[in-house]
Amino acid sequence: MALTAIIGATLLLTGYVWGGTAVWLWAALAYFLISRYASQTAAAVQQGFVTGEQLLQAQKLAALGELAAGLAHEINNPLAIIRQEAEYAQFVLKKSTIGDSPELLEVRDSLREIITQVDRSREITQNLLNFARKREPVLQQVEINRLIEDMVRLVEKEARNKNIHLQRHYDPDLPVVTSDPPLLRQVILNLLNNASYAIGADGEITVATRTLPNREILITVADTGPGIAPEVLPKIFDPFFTTKPQGKGTGLGLAICHGIIQKLGGRISSTSEPGRGATFAVTLPLSAQSQEQPA
Amino acid sequence: MDNFKVLLVDDEDDFRETLQKRLRNRKLQVEGAENGYKALEMLQSQDFDVVILDVKMPGMDGIQTLQEIKIKKPEVEVIMLTGHASVESGIQGMQLGAFDYVMKPVPLDELLDKMRQAYERKTMRASHGG
Repeated sequence: MALTAIIGATLLLTGYVWGGTAVWLWAALAYFLISRYASQTAAAVQQGFVTGEQLLQAQKLAALGELAAGLAHEINNPLAIIRQEAEYAQFVLKKSTIGDSPELLEVRDSLREIITQVDRSREITQNLLNFARKREPVLQQVEINRLIEDMVRLVEKEARNKNIHLQRHYDPDLPVVTSDPPLLRQVILNLLNNASYAIGADGEITVATRTLPNREILITVADTGPGIAPEVLPKIFDPFFTTKPQGKGTGLGLAICHGIIQKLGGRISSTSEPGRGATFAVTLPLSAQSQEQPA
Repeated sequence: MDNFKVLLVDDEDDFRETLQKRLRNRKLQVEGAENGYKALEMLQSQDFDVVILDVKMPGMDGIQTLQEIKIKKPEVEVIMLTGHASVESGIQGMQLGAFDYVMKPVPLDELLDKMRQAYERKTMRASHGG
């Protein structure tokens, strides 16, 4: 595919300009991943399983995830050495007989700051690794309404202080689903938290479940916040995309949700009319197919 | 009878000891640890299936303990237990691989149910080789 070649060439060129061996490797890996995903995309679209756009989104996420995990791994090692050396310097200073000159105090301050910043960087790489970690789903029986209600109650306590009310519209006849409970909890909690953040104060979050005619389960989380601008809507599941102020969000929350729901054989989407809130919809199959079983 | 081993980690002695007693009455094998360090030590020397972990503890808190458990004993399932509902630590906990995040007080039967599911998950993961 022409597009793949262009992306690949660009990445390889970037690697060349940067000059580092590691960068080269990653550029090559990215090329490999993107071309692999692109050919899968073409095949699946031809077979008419999914729309090209949906698939491109999913594969962009997968490729980025693998790339991010690799980079995070590489960066963790030098970080560990930097921290260790700084700690050792601290230790040497403590033992030294030079006394407490103002210069020495400054060196101590600076060492402390190095360690703080290394820890901060490690948190970022840790998040990346968590994001990409291959956590294969473990399929168990799930009572969806109950699982959601647990998370709703958790969010409700904090929400109440901000005058945000939670409305439940659970379908009492919802069938038991075979899926991965902790992964689903992660998604529901993220969606509820985003809804509450979007509202800020004074509003309503409506959580609903029902069975679709095709026997899939539909979960919706709707908020009365300001809504999502049309130009932002297509990007919200992209990794690192965030509308939160710097340092407040990693931009991985919804990307993780997207990855999880996809792994569970479902879909996640959002709709919004600016000024009238946003709704996130998750559909789940009655039974997520175990990927370990031969096709 | 439930045949799995539980480690209860909570710095509040009264809470931990009472819950331990109640779970033992239900014929469960339960040990207690009063902080994260102790819990990690016990996890190294004994086999546990499920850990009930308090979120708010002095020293190493529940999230840090969870992180360490998931590095050293990833096969163990962890249920986080919290007195102060915090959505942020809930998200952190679930992201770090906790099985569930439960608010105190939790009815014993409900907790037992969650523990059984957590144990089921552990055995399923073991049989899948992952």
